[in-house]
Amino acid sequence: MNNTLDKLRTALGERSSYDAASQCSRCGYCEQACPTYALSGREAFSPRGRNQLFRMMLEGKLKEPASAQEALSTCLLCGACSTACYAHIPTPDIVLEGRRSARAFAPLWARVAAWLLERPRVLSAALRLAAALQRLGLSALAEALGRPLPRLPGRSFRSRDVEGPRGSWAYFAACGPNYLFPEAAQSSCAALEKSRGPGGLLQGCCGLISYNYGELEKARDCARRLIERFESSGAQDLVGDCSSCVAHLKAYPQLFLGDPAWLPRAEKFSARVRDFIELPLDAARRQGARTEEKITYHDSCRARHGQGLHEAPRRLLREAYAGSFVELPEADWCCGGAGAFSFLHPELSEEILRRKIDNIASTGARIVATSSTSCLLQLARGLKKYYPECRVLHLSQALAQRPR
Amino acid sequence: MSRLSGLRSLLDGGSLLTGEADLLSYSYDGALDRGRPEAVVLASNAEEVRRVVDWCLRRGVPFVARGAGTNLSGGCVALRGGVVISLAKLDRILEIDSETGVAVVEPGVVNLHLQKRLEGLGRFYAPDPASYRVCTLGGNAAENAGGPRCLKYGVTTNHVLAVEAVMPDATLRRFSIDEAGPEVLGLLVGAEGTLGVLTKLWLRTLPLPETIRTLLVAFPSLEGAMACVSGIIAAGVLPRVLEAMDRATVESIEAYCRAGYPASAAVLLIELDGAAAQVAVETGVVERLCRKHDCGEFRQADDPAERDRLWEGRRGAYAALARVAPNVLVEDGVVPRSALAEAARRVDAIAKRHRVRAALLFHAGDGNLHPNIAFDERDADQTRRVKAAGREILEACIELGGSISGEHGIGIDKREAMSWLFTQPTLDLFRRIKREFDPGGLSNPDKLFPSSASPPRRVSRPLSPAQKAVVDRLGSLSSPVTPRGTGTKLPEGALKIEILETSGMNAVLELDAANFTVTVEAGITLRRLREELRGRGLELGLAVSEGTVGGLIGAKSDPRLRDRLLGVRAALAGGEVVELGGKVVKNVAGYDVCKLLLGSWGSLAVILEATLRVFPASSKNEPPLLEPPAFEPFKPNPWQRAAKRAFDPGNLLSPWVFGSE
Repeated sequence: MNNTLDKLRTALGERSSYDAASQCSRCGYCEQACPTYALSGREAFSPRGRNQLFRMMLEGKLKEPASAQEALSTCLLCGACSTACYAHIPTPDIVLEGRRSARAFAPLWARVAAWLLERPRVLSAALRLAAALQRLGLSALAEALGRPLPRLPGRSFRSRDVEGPRGSWAYFAACGPNYLFPEAAQSSCAALEKSRGPGGLLQGCCGLISYNYGELEKARDCARRLIERFESSGAQDLVGDCSSCVAHLKAYPQLFLGDPAWLPRAEKFSARVRDFIELPLDAARRQGARTEEKITYHDSCRARHGQGLHEAPRRLLREAYAGSFVELPEADWCCGGAGAFSFLHPELSEEILRRKIDNIASTGARIVATSSTSCLLQLARGLKKYYPECRVLHLSQALAQRPR
Repeated sequence: MSRLSGLRSLLDGGSLLTGEADLLSYSYDGALDRGRPEAVVLASNAEEVRRVVDWCLRRGVPFVARGAGTNLSGGCVALRGGVVISLAKLDRILEIDSETGVAVVEPGVVNLHLQKRLEGLGRFYAPDPASYRVCTLGGNAAENAGGPRCLKYGVTTNHVLAVEAVMPDATLRRFSIDEAGPEVLGLLVGAEGTLGVLTKLWLRTLPLPETIRTLLVAFPSLEGAMACVSGIIAAGVLPRVLEAMDRATVESIEAYCRAGYPASAAVLLIELDGAAAQVAVETGVVERLCRKHDCGEFRQADDPAERDRLWEGRRGAYAALARVAPNVLVEDGVVPRSALAEAARRVDAIAKRHRVRAALLFHAGDGNLHPNIAFDERDADQTRRVKAAGREILEACIELGGSISGEHGIGIDKREAMSWLFTQPTLDLFRRIKREFDPGGLSNPDKLFPSSASPPRRVSRPLSPAQKAVVDRLGSLSSPVTPRGTGTKLPEGALKIEILETSGMNAVLELDAANFTVTVEAGITLRRLREELRGRGLELGLAVSEGTVGGLIGAKSDPRLRDRLLGVRAALAGGEVVELGGKVVKNVAGYDVCKLLLGSWGSLAVILEATLRVFPASSKNEPPLLEPPAFEPFKPNPWQRAAKRAFDPGNLLSPWVFGSE
């Protein structure tokens, strides 16, 4: 079965993935925006290189397509190149098309992960078990293996709350906040309730993992299910606080190009999706006090580049933290977490992480706020290792604990 | 692949890439031509580069140095396979001298990264090519890159004080601006990697100006805007930026980013910098001139955020076109400033004839025009028409007294056009220089030079009787001579052989007050030249009192001459006449041989005439006059000797300069 999209939504309209890649004039202005190029200096690890390789694959100029695997698989999908590109070429989507057309099956880990994420009960049970094991000392083992796990919460967010949307908004309990960072989910919901009154809750897998690593049809299944549930909830908008998932929800129409039944529904749905960080929260409006502790902000790639959100989260932090908020150098550079990237390319990921932590340390911040599960995991690990004076919090948590 | 796998053992920190995807990803740059290398070395230090060059030299394998690969002329495409030496990871800023501001950098440092570092020190590096966010300083030097700011501050070659290079014989050598004798440094900058690989650069940086003011001015006609540009320069105001956009460019900008540029036939973006009081005065002058030329809207801003808003459209100009179609031909011609309006008319007619749409963007202050044509390289017919239009635009620039490249270089793209611009003897000289420096022809081969199949179309202008007498004498030379102007600086030994008098060549050939250039015969005395200039309200701006123009150049009596000498016509020992440079300020076509003649003491060629940049008369440019320095013997380095062999293999001209080996 065909596992490619073939048509992409680009800043210049709907294009075949070939046309989208061919829009690259090879000017190279994207190169320094790309962490993997900036660190390696290797053209194939640059956005321009990846687009050209994809194009040459389709044109039959690349005799051994397998040799392009490394270039395609090392793409962080951060999208910094699209922001830098004059024509906003959607390189992450093109890379994904390249990966999909080059492989016959989704990797086993991705299939297992997708299967688990669609089965909340099994996943909850597994996480409870893992948390128990962690308390019994498994984390020491994991650390010894070089891949320390975050501290698992034991109970997911959803299991503590009522399901079923009510009111004008629904909170999208994405897997990360739901299973790994329930405090973040809690803070987000509290802030939403405070500024907009009671809301509802929608839990499910957005399908990003299948979109990025697995089968498109599975990603479409996830999307259809969520769209249906949102439609029947009657909520006005759907607010998520994992920017990776939110960016994917906003991009649902791309999954249904050429599907007259689902495209309009996907478009209507996406138009009503909001990232927590872009909301004008009344609760944050009240000016916080200046503190000795500095706070900084790391742009989740899928917020900054996937959704074009830049100013809104900074405004929230400036309001809440007054002069204690400091801008992070290279704030919109990926942290190297990037979904599965950190375990698929641990060395490259570590190098990118080092640069990120160095930048954070250069601000002297004690808190760094961000908005994606992947960043929360990666930064927590990096800070612990290289700059333990600082901790990472989801933006909603940072706002909740603002100085008074 | 086996023939190159031995390279791996030469690398201690760098890496060797040989996979198909990697090789293909180094098969292109920012232009259209392709060429696939057989291996790519990601070098990590200069010694590695030297070892790779040495390895290539022993095996006859061609090599091409590459920075970020953003150049627009195919300069870093490996046409003959071989090895691409990527300098992208030689990216350290080694030192910035806090006293002198000299920055020592590796070639892979990104232009922007140096700018950022300097900003903290209150300084800046002047060359600012459009790709400054990604392009490397080594690439900038190899291409002699320009940018909007170079009107006031000069192009890359004016800011490179020294380089360290791996030469084609695999030796590592430093060349500097204050070396005695013919200047090799100026030859390497802009040589597009054909004469060696730059591995370290010493760059001049400047203090940030106190005030910068940005003006955005609309004009009802392109002619009016161009006349205003000339007026501004003639008034003695040298803006740091003087950019022009035509209606097509403004329209595409507005469709793209709604920068709020006035819908008009032409828009000028002018930027003045310096002390606040001076900027205020200059703003007054510029505003008056704009009004005089019937400008429409006149906006100005000092505040960085507001200045940024005025810049928004100019910055988005390329972006706006990049969205229209996958490819944009950014043509790069230069004409004397006074010919800009005519050049624009011709570009328009050429574009119409080939059914393409050219949007014009000019660095108007220095006559550099970029007609931008959007197209899709996958459409063969359209691509053919675009290329044809590009060719005709260059021909038009040559006809108008200009050049085929102001800042993008020749590379592959403009090789053939070289034979339209240069005469046969001049191209032959370039080829001999290449051969003497790189006998194996391995350092970025096949670039810069037209294939021998395309015979030069350019013919030399007729010689004056006085010039002809000198040339005839040189044609029948059998024993050494010393060319002499007034002889003020020559050592005693020089006069022991036959003297070739140049003082008969003393005419002012062209005094172009609109473009601030003067072309004179080499035997004219500085005293007389100054008189002629004064009569036209101009001045030379050099500190030397006595002697001839030829002597001034041969002795490099004033270091500023380096940035003032635009073109030279010279005769070689066999009587061939070569024509170098031209009368445009910005010109990166061919080797910068003019700089080689500076300090050559008549040992390379006999200068027949020279074109110099001059200035509106004002007391601030004309320095106090000094006695010219006398000749001091020096020990030529091997590359100065190589240049000598290319010019004068029989050592017939001023033989006392080089001596016998």
